[in-house]
Amino acid sequence: MKKIALLMSVLVALTLLTGCQKKEESKTAEVKVEKVKLVFTSWRTEDIERMNRINDEFTKANPNIEIDFQPVKDTEYDAQLRQSLAAGVGADIIFLRSYDSGYQIYKTESLMDLNSVLPELKEFPSAAVAAWATPEGESYGIPAAGVVHGIYYRKSIFEKYGLDVPATWDEFIAACDTLKAGGETVFAQGTKDNWMLYEVMYSGLGANFYGGEEARQALMNKEARFTDDNFVLALEKMKELQAYFPERYEGIDYVTMQQIFGTGNAAMFMGGSWEIGIFEDLGGLEDVGYFAPPLAKAGDTLQYCFHVDAGIAMNKNTKHMEEVKTYMKWLASSDYAQLYMNELPGFFSYTPGNYTLNNQLAKEMQSYVSDSVPTVRTVWEKLSADSPSGNELVGEAIQMMYAGTLTPAEAAKFVDDGLSWYY
Amino acid sequence: MIQATKKHTRFLFMFIFPAFIIYTVFMLLPIINSMKYSLYSGDGLVPGTFVGLDNFIRLFTEERYYSRFWGAFGNNIKFFLIVTFIQNILGFFMAVFITRSFKGSGFMRKLSFLPTTLSVLVVGFIFKLILNPYYGIFDKVLEAVGMGDFIIPWLGDPRSALVIVSIAVSWQFFGESVLFYSSGIDSIDESIMEAARIDGANIWHEIIHIILPSVLPIVGIVTILIFIGDFTQFDIIFAMTGTRGDPNYSTDLFGSLFYRTAFSSAERGGWGTGMGATVATMMFITVTIGVGGFLAFFNKKKEELGK
Repeated sequence: MKKIALLMSVLVALTLLTGCQKKEESKTAEVKVEKVKLVFTSWRTEDIERMNRINDEFTKANPNIEIDFQPVKDTEYDAQLRQSLAAGVGADIIFLRSYDSGYQIYKTESLMDLNSVLPELKEFPSAAVAAWATPEGESYGIPAAGVVHGIYYRKSIFEKYGLDVPATWDEFIAACDTLKAGGETVFAQGTKDNWMLYEVMYSGLGANFYGGEEARQALMNKEARFTDDNFVLALEKMKELQAYFPERYEGIDYVTMQQIFGTGNAAMFMGGSWEIGIFEDLGGLEDVGYFAPPLAKAGDTLQYCFHVDAGIAMNKNTKHMEEVKTYMKWLASSDYAQLYMNELPGFFSYTPGNYTLNNQLAKEMQSYVSDSVPTVRTVWEKLSADSPSGNELVGEAIQMMYAGTLTPAEAAKFVDDGLSWYY
Repeated sequence: MIQATKKHTRFLFMFIFPAFIIYTVFMLLPIINSMKYSLYSGDGLVPGTFVGLDNFIRLFTEERYYSRFWGAFGNNIKFFLIVTFIQNILGFFMAVFITRSFKGSGFMRKLSFLPTTLSVLVVGFIFKLILNPYYGIFDKVLEAVGMGDFIIPWLGDPRSALVIVSIAVSWQFFGESVLFYSSGIDSIDESIMEAARIDGANIWHEIIHIILPSVLPIVGIVTILIFIGDFTQFDIIFAMTGTRGDPNYSTDLFGSLFYRTAFSSAERGGWGTGMGATVATMMFITVTIGVGGFLAFFNKKKEELGK
């Protein structure tokens, strides 16, 4: 009994001591700094250094506000965001996915309405604003970044075979044949991660075949079905590329494919503009070129998947409301947009203004925009709001198509069947 | 005497109290709460509309849900069988082997336990690197020994992915079974073994008539631990094949199914918190029934042996 009493008193003493210590610490903190630290979360863990450089510029102008950029791994981001917001420990500034996914977060009543906070949003392209707004037109996110999908290539390998950048699908396939005959790994592509197959390949390269934005709208408005000829044709075209995939492509995951191309071991990589930074870090960009998805036939207008990737929202329950608003204003300014696009080449800002891009690849990507019809990923809007989501279905269908278990027509039916649960 | 018992009770209560509080707050209440959510539907992390057993009915009648649920259930059973085979049977023989005294047996003991001290995520990552079809060492070794024809995209092929994942888990926790079994074998009285040997028993006789009966309760414990571990397994799937249980849900287990359905947004495979909680409740029921079944089975076996 004596021992227990002793133990108890030690415990009590310890708690008291730590308590005192804490109090002292907070006292000194109050005296020393009045700096406010805002937490900024995103799914782009690879951007920490770049975002810190951008935010330093902000802190220079606003010395009392410090931005703590705390990204979470892409695949975990949504779950983590939901949990932290519900628990009341969410970040102050939040990267938000477009359309339904972001809207779901908004519906948890944890995001601030922005129409009154940021009246300048009216000047932004309306299609981009709509990706982070309620059906009634209330914005809850600044359209911050868009990405394009296309094909990266190794200039040296193309030169070796005397290949030009292909403009049409036939030229594209001819180039693939030449490269394959020469013993090159034509594409770095693998099929282990199926989101790539849908987001980049089908939405990017397939759009020219299924009819781009018009077809996407028709699908969304129930005037078309995924089993229609144009959508199946796009799947068939994707299937044509299988012959040029590396050996055992079924086991190659996203990171591996980036490494294969980034280190110069494949001639081409179907990817998104966000990968510029990754290839820069892997092996430099001198040898990397880019071209937009090849047209179905010469003379067609390019259907360019310029996807609304990231919006930025603010936490309604932030402890530093005024500071967050100041920061949000800055995020919606052209100053930020210019910094952002140069720090993160491959991400294109929607903020109105004239910008000079210092990255050659980003310039090339942007050069296609003026003569194209912009579109977004095929089943991203509305068709992915319930289970099973269109995003998953198309990815799975193409994965199975490449595994040989489904024909392109069956793959289209697989998607159509899945969507029929709610659409 | 009565006084003493009373005092005793109070004393016992003092011991139980802290654990009871912790279990209630951090285990019992969340479990009950999660079960409550399985009766609700709605957006966000806290579903608000009471729907009764509707979630359960939908889980078992709508193909989009039950195909995933039964898929994960089937995978889980396969996973459990493979892991049980490796950990229980091979683990047992390994234990018999290292409990013989020979030079280096102590070292073997330590070595067999080493992987258990690693994090599951580390193990998953190591296996993923070894099996990478482009730069992984495993394929290179197979090629070097002239078995290049057998190479398949190990983690990309639905036929092999689950087996590979099971092997990774078994490899890691192999040492744990060996530890359990070897401590069981160590506790067998040496004089019994000696007597058997004098009577002319060979190693098989020893195993069947002495070792196996005395470690049978441990077989039960190990099997139940594997069962619980496997039916709640998540980490290794997360590390090796992602929360979708790629390729094409062939490695989807209850753990990954629950994580995906409860915490992902709809476009990434989420079913909403209500349905997620329903999956969790079904997991809980499955594990409880399973453990109950195993306990009954092994107790009966023990009684039979006792007779």
